[in-house]
Amino acid sequence: MSDTTSTAGPSAGQAEPGPAERAEPGPAELAAAELDATIAGIEHHLAAWAADTGAALAAMSGKVTGTAVDKLIRPMVEELVQLPGGYAAGAGFIANAGLLGPERSYIAWWQGPDLEHVDALANFSPNSISRYVKAEWFRIPVETGRAHVTGPYVDFLCTDEYVLTFTHPVFTRPDGPVAGIVGIDVTVQRVERGAMPALRRIGGRATLANPDGRAVVSAAPDIDAGDLISPAEPCAHYPVGRTFTLWSDATGL
Amino acid sequence: MLLSPNGASRSLAAVFTPIKSRGLVDEVCGRIEQAVETGLLTSGQRLPNETELAAALGVSAVTAREALSQLRASGIIRTARGRSGGSFIADNVLPSRERALAQLHELSRLQIRDLALHYQAIAAACAGVAARRSDAADIATLRSFIPSADDDSLSWRLALSEFLLEVAAIARSARLARELIRLQADLGTLTLLPCADAGYRGRTTVILEDVAAAIEAHDPGAAETGIKAHISATTDWLLTEQAKRY
Repeated sequence: MSDTTSTAGPSAGQAEPGPAERAEPGPAELAAAELDATIAGIEHHLAAWAADTGAALAAMSGKVTGTAVDKLIRPMVEELVQLPGGYAAGAGFIANAGLLGPERSYIAWWQGPDLEHVDALANFSPNSISRYVKAEWFRIPVETGRAHVTGPYVDFLCTDEYVLTFTHPVFTRPDGPVAGIVGIDVTVQRVERGAMPALRRIGGRATLANPDGRAVVSAAPDIDAGDLISPAEPCAHYPVGRTFTLWSDATGL
Repeated sequence: MLLSPNGASRSLAAVFTPIKSRGLVDEVCGRIEQAVETGLLTSGQRLPNETELAAALGVSAVTAREALSQLRASGIIRTARGRSGGSFIADNVLPSRERALAQLHELSRLQIRDLALHYQAIAAACAGVAARRSDAADIATLRSFIPSADDDSLSWRLALSEFLLEVAAIARSARLARELIRLQADLGTLTLLPCADAGYRGRTTVILEDVAAAIEAHDPGAAETGIKAHISATTDWLLTEQAKRY
């Protein structure tokens, strides 16, 4: 993000440093870069999975079936949710209308270490697509053809937890319609554990925020996940992943 | 005996209460009933066989078979034999006034009042936090669940439950949201009854508009008062109706 400055370190002065001094990243930059690498890692993983899934779907001869989709998706979900120290609470694929039939979606989504099959009853519904079209995590990647992060929000469909959902469109042809989405649910709790050490190194009011200016994790005791926040100037902003920002100094609204 | 004056024995007693083995079967039935009520599964539609159902829901075939027979007994599904046989969602399966009345008459006034009190406490907590955390998009979604006067009572009942769940979603508390879902399950089809009354519907629309406005204005006090008024109005209606049976 363009307004990243180096005034953020807890011991840094207020003066704007010259370009020469920027070459050496301070402790705050290093901490922010660490968190950025974690979140960007999830996003890159998802993008690669979307590309592989698109290629595999395109290579399927004849009609795409639910069983074939399950067989394709489940091994990757298993790897994601069972990865020691991993971030995924659940993951999967949801077909857009058209892939398996008109008006029909298909959900191949599993969660937890025991791979609980999510919303599986919906796959028996002839109008299952109506269940997902309005959901932000499905609608936005389908409409824009681009990756999206939803949340933090309370996920009533799957985990019943406070989560972030990373979703990415899947294409079977480069210029074709969106065939579906792949996604990963990450609980806010998991992000908290991963982010707190970095936030603490930046300062007592350092906060990871989503693009709406809503706190995901904060080092400040009076800012909870889900609170709307504003910057307490001087506040440095560091990009974290495609859409999040780490604020060095935040205050509740 | 562990009967200490500070009551620790009571919580211990709960730990040793036998776990009901029918839990999973009821859970499967509940899912299917919910899918029917929300329109995901519709009358006449064929259900998967017990092997498919078991695989989809991650339960054993025995559990799936028991669930199907329980659903059959309660009239949610019907089973046809032969080549085009299988289990189908029954006709007239949607929550009916008769079923809701039967449920109302099974409950005592004490149970209704206590359930309402619990519901009020959770919903008011959600509304208060929601008023702190709402943004413009939240309010637009919340208002989309305020039903219009000429919707039928089934749509009204669904919209009211969605409205309250959306308040919990705006509060962004997973625990409160889960508790609200449990309470709505306990209420069952009861809430269908007042939704058939035009007077109740008119008063409720006004209250829900007030709740949405208070959450939008970041006024926790007014949001809590409004949501409590909505649940009181519902409870009063149900208690008045229940009294007619005596």
